[in-house]
Amino acid sequence: MVAIMAKPVEQTGYDDLVELAKTQAGALGRLYELYYDRILRFCVHRLFNRATAEDVTSLVFLTVARMMRGFKGQTEQDFRAWIYTIAANQANAYIRKTTRRKRLMENVVAHRRTEEQDSGEWSSLDWPTLYGAIQQLKPEHQTILTLRFFENMDYDEIGRVVEARPATVRVTLHRVLRRLQEELRGDLGGEQ
Amino acid sequence: MVDNEHDFQKLVAGLKIDAEPDPGHRERLRRQMLQTFEETARASGAGAQQSPQKIVPLRRMPFVKLAVAATVLVAATAGVWTWLGRGGPMTFDQIRLATMKMPWMHAIVKGDQNGQVRTTQHWYNFAAQKTYVATDDGSVLGWDYGAGREQFVYSPRVKAVVVSELASVSPFGAESAYNLIDAFAVFAAKDDAEMTTWTAEHGGRTVRAYGIETPATGFNMAGRQAAGAQIVMMADPATKRVVAANVEYRSQDGSTLGREEWAIDYPQSGPGSMFELGVPANARVIDRRQQPVGTPGDEPAVIPTPAPTSSRKWVPLEIKLPRPQFVGTPQDARTPNLERPRGRPRPPFLAPPGTTNVALGKPVSASDRDPLYGSLDMVTDGDKKADDGSFIELGPKPQYVTIDLRERCEIYAIIIWHYHKLARVYFDVVAQVSDDKSFRNGVTTVFNNDRDNSLGLGAGTDLHYTETNEGKLLDSKGVQGRYVRLYSNGNTSDDLNHYIEVEVYGRPLGLIRDN
Repeated sequence: MVAIMAKPVEQTGYDDLVELAKTQAGALGRLYELYYDRILRFCVHRLFNRATAEDVTSLVFLTVARMMRGFKGQTEQDFRAWIYTIAANQANAYIRKTTRRKRLMENVVAHRRTEEQDSGEWSSLDWPTLYGAIQQLKPEHQTILTLRFFENMDYDEIGRVVEARPATVRVTLHRVLRRLQEELRGDLGGEQ
Repeated sequence: MVDNEHDFQKLVAGLKIDAEPDPGHRERLRRQMLQTFEETARASGAGAQQSPQKIVPLRRMPFVKLAVAATVLVAATAGVWTWLGRGGPMTFDQIRLATMKMPWMHAIVKGDQNGQVRTTQHWYNFAAQKTYVATDDGSVLGWDYGAGREQFVYSPRVKAVVVSELASVSPFGAESAYNLIDAFAVFAAKDDAEMTTWTAEHGGRTVRAYGIETPATGFNMAGRQAAGAQIVMMADPATKRVVAANVEYRSQDGSTLGREEWAIDYPQSGPGSMFELGVPANARVIDRRQQPVGTPGDEPAVIPTPAPTSSRKWVPLEIKLPRPQFVGTPQDARTPNLERPRGRPRPPFLAPPGTTNVALGKPVSASDRDPLYGSLDMVTDGDKKADDGSFIELGPKPQYVTIDLRERCEIYAIIIWHYHKLARVYFDVVAQVSDDKSFRNGVTTVFNNDRDNSLGLGAGTDLHYTETNEGKLLDSKGVQGRYVRLYSNGNTSDDLNHYIEVEVYGRPLGLIRDN
């Protein structure tokens, strides 16, 4: 027997805005202002390349624009989970293409600070090196990792985005970190 | 190091990543988005306010190709969304749960190997954890992967049923997955598995398809070991149940060994035993479970009758308690059958002289071999504090830990500290003692508060209790055994399972005899 305790829904000052944005362009524009930076940042962290991140951010907001009228959520919390789900799906779809992933990794390798990488020190870890290791994870795991550490979401919120229970997110994240550590050890030239 | 989340958070905080927005892109996208919003409104006939923004012609935009691609993608998605319903795309987990809620699943499986077609029937009783397979040559196979832990094979050629212990690897090549649904879920959960989903047509209806490639599964196709298989499950979006499956077996060199097509239905009843699938009632039964198997010398040692225990006066156990983390015992009103707090320290527990914590420093194994926090040796390391570095965290759902006392002991008390930093209640706590490390034979249950039999070990009558620094003392009344196993199934705070420390107070039987 497992007790299930529902968490209270977080109330924000923008819940009304979400309702209005289903029918009013002005309200949608306001939501856009609230979320553009976050979604772009998420895409940069997922896709490394700035231009690619902007393109995928565009896809995310164009999707929102087309589907907003049919959006069933009522709160900003619902909207946040929804837009991040769209962003995660778009980013995953992008990197699943082998040719794109190859190009992405070439870009990452070109940006690595190879002279520091050879030192084998964790402190020398730079973003391209970390990103290269993250790219070895499954796209869904990359999503969870990015939401947790780059977007600072809690397990409940991540669970809403990836449609999983918070405990499952926690378990997955723990295992993802272990896997990432192994990848990084390989990158930095052996056990620390 | 990135040993834990905190370390990784620090690592990320120190990175320099340029994610500053470009105001030009922001503004262009804003206009594009609002234009799309208005166009959608017009296309759907919905009234909409005219955007005050100046509309930039679509084809001048630098990301026009992506936008067009998005339009196509969204249109396609919307089409799928219509039949997927309000809940969004179905995950395979939802499919699995809906399928396994049914009393029976029946499948007619047509296997094609080099043009030779054979038909088998599969019957799954998920609740009773039984699988039957009847082949077209009259053979019947059965697996009881629940309480019975045994398997049957009936051969019409010798007219005999061979009963043996359940093999550790199922016929699907996946440990503890004795039906196709579980096997698919096990393969899909592997780290290197990549599940693809798509919409397909099957039998004149639209279905959702889920496909995975499983390398080196151990599948067997007419006697030839397959190096891998491609499995496609098809689910009805209305019922969310699997209605068909295709399996293609591949050899080491990638060539196709054979194919199977599964047509699945859900009858209300199924065979009560293999005798209802054509096994004659007078078939000879050969029970291989009673014959010793394995390496000679590996069999369990003969267990001598223990010497009588000391007639000397019993003495109170010396139990060192950790510092309490809260005053009083708050009660969780949501938990039924909850033990009332004593409101005073636990009275002394009496045991024969010489009784000590025989679990201290002893090896621990667990159902979750990869704890989320801590390592399994912390369960018996003597550290009972509720600090961050003093507990282990096992995954969600039912989990157990097993302590190997290294020798048979007479056990008088087991004390469990799950997590006493908070006044939690852990669910489905069951404590068992056995000489069999697999806990299949000779199991004595010392405590069981799994009142609805969630664990399938039998319904218990003991009460739930609230975690405190005193731990939960289970009176085990001198039960004898080498292994102690403790189950739990989440707690009032989350679905996870924790252990700070377990103490087992007893006396090694060898020591008792020597005295």
